[in-house]
Amino acid sequence: MNVYLPIAELSVNLFFLVGIGGAVGFLSGLFGVGGGFLLTPLLIFSGVPTSVAVASVTGQVVAASTSGALSHYRRGGIDLHLALYLVLSGILGAFVGVAAFSLLRQAGQLDLVIALGFLILLGFVGLLMLQEAVRAILKQRQGIVVRERMPHQHSWIHGLPWRVRFKKSRLYISVLPVLAIGLFIGFVGSLLGVGGGFIMVPALVYLLRVPGNVVIGTSLAQVVAMMAATTILHAVQSQSVDILLAFCLMVGGTAGAQFGAAAGKHLRGEQLRGLLALLVLAVAIRFGLSLVLTPSDVFSMAVMGAAR
Amino acid sequence: MTKLLVIIGFCLALLTPAAAQNARLVSTLSNDTIEITSSFDGERMTFFGNIAPEAGSGQRFIEGPFHVIVVILGPTQDRVARQMTHNFGIWLNTDEVAFPRFPSYFHVLASGRLREISDATTLTSNFILPEAHAMVPNPAGWWKTLVFGRELIRLMTEENLFGVQENGVNFLSDTFYSAQLILPSNAPPGPYIAQTYVFRNGEIIARKSEGFAVRKIGFERFLAQSATQYPLIYGICCVILALFTGWLGGVLFRR
Repeated sequence: MNVYLPIAELSVNLFFLVGIGGAVGFLSGLFGVGGGFLLTPLLIFSGVPTSVAVASVTGQVVAASTSGALSHYRRGGIDLHLALYLVLSGILGAFVGVAAFSLLRQAGQLDLVIALGFLILLGFVGLLMLQEAVRAILKQRQGIVVRERMPHQHSWIHGLPWRVRFKKSRLYISVLPVLAIGLFIGFVGSLLGVGGGFIMVPALVYLLRVPGNVVIGTSLAQVVAMMAATTILHAVQSQSVDILLAFCLMVGGTAGAQFGAAAGKHLRGEQLRGLLALLVLAVAIRFGLSLVLTPSDVFSMAVMGAAR
Repeated sequence: MTKLLVIIGFCLALLTPAAAQNARLVSTLSNDTIEITSSFDGERMTFFGNIAPEAGSGQRFIEGPFHVIVVILGPTQDRVARQMTHNFGIWLNTDEVAFPRFPSYFHVLASGRLREISDATTLTSNFILPEAHAMVPNPAGWWKTLVFGRELIRLMTEENLFGVQENGVNFLSDTFYSAQLILPSNAPPGPYIAQTYVFRNGEIIARKSEGFAVRKIGFERFLAQSATQYPLIYGICCVILALFTGWLGGVLFRR
């Protein structure tokens, strides 16, 4: 059964859309990530125009993160104070990201920058996660008890000025690194159509040393607010948000995420992180190959001026 | 050189019809609007007509043999063709040529081989050959325009937006023809023109153009219009929909 997407102006199989939404939703529920970093590439590789894919997935990421954010909020797992700083700087970053998105599309370099961005970001994060997960698994095999986090271990980041007390996270740190993280994730997220959870969580844990019980919730709350703003920005600036495409993905995604979360309970933390790292690396390699290998067609075309 | 040929051809085309045009074309098409609905998956169209003697000429019959070419032209867009080259170990777009007001859809249905129906000059000056659309003067220089234009036409052909069907027109009698076109699902919405040319001995003896529209209707039209006319409200609606779906998903699957 085909469905005509009014903004992408092409007809796509409905079950395919809901299916990839569901598959990615399953993985995102399993690993606790938004899934944008898988969905955007999948849509691009299946023929949806890059700009429509990026803009519509931002809408899907909002839906995918909402139920998680709500359940964390009920459990009190969100540091709203910290999230506010992250969101405000994130929206600022998203403004820059969406503007860069339009400029790059006009210059014909959007696909290149998106491929490079995914390659560098996913490659870097994937390698770090893999290294950490393998180390944890090896240590556990040798019977060494690993301390999950090292509280009160200070680095140069804690020496910066303008310190603010974040009660829930039990932190008294400078706002500068917080704002920098928000800005960076806002920029990258709006440019690549990803929520940025896979950057946000490590950044909060390793750079700011936010305790584990509020990391995921705060990250999810930040993703919801920032991606909601990004969706509106994309809708206004590039008019390439396809609400029908986004909705099909949302339906599949929210359903899949529930099964993923249930399946995730049967796997151990390090195993999950190791699998996620492999997945992230696979996407990075796929983008890397598309840059390096001789393309099947060196010519391409685009419509100028119009949004689509 | 090409430009000169086009100009000469155009002058010839202006001069000749007065002498050669002694036929009249009575034609119509199967639908004058094609509606894009949620299940739009392409649409079949039929063009048909009859070649009759010119009104008031007193002739009862008109002698063939005839050839008919139907050219279907979609709304114009500003297109750009880009070329990737290998630099610093990666492939990136380095060169581009813009083609302003390039047809977004172009299909030729003919009753025989185009080159046998008429000469290249006549075909080019009447924009019957796809290449004619890429030959317009371009600041990029004529050689680059030629190379990129060819590639653009090839890409459009791969997307099913450009095409030539030399067996697309069938004669049902000596003077009555019909032509079928399957408009693909990616045909851009907008005003279309179908131009019909009747050839005899390589010359155009009659021509007629008809318009039809491809447009989104109902919900699709509403969505596409709100996305361009009220982008802010559209964006906010997207977000509300996303929040609601996410919340609903959480509630439904909590059990």
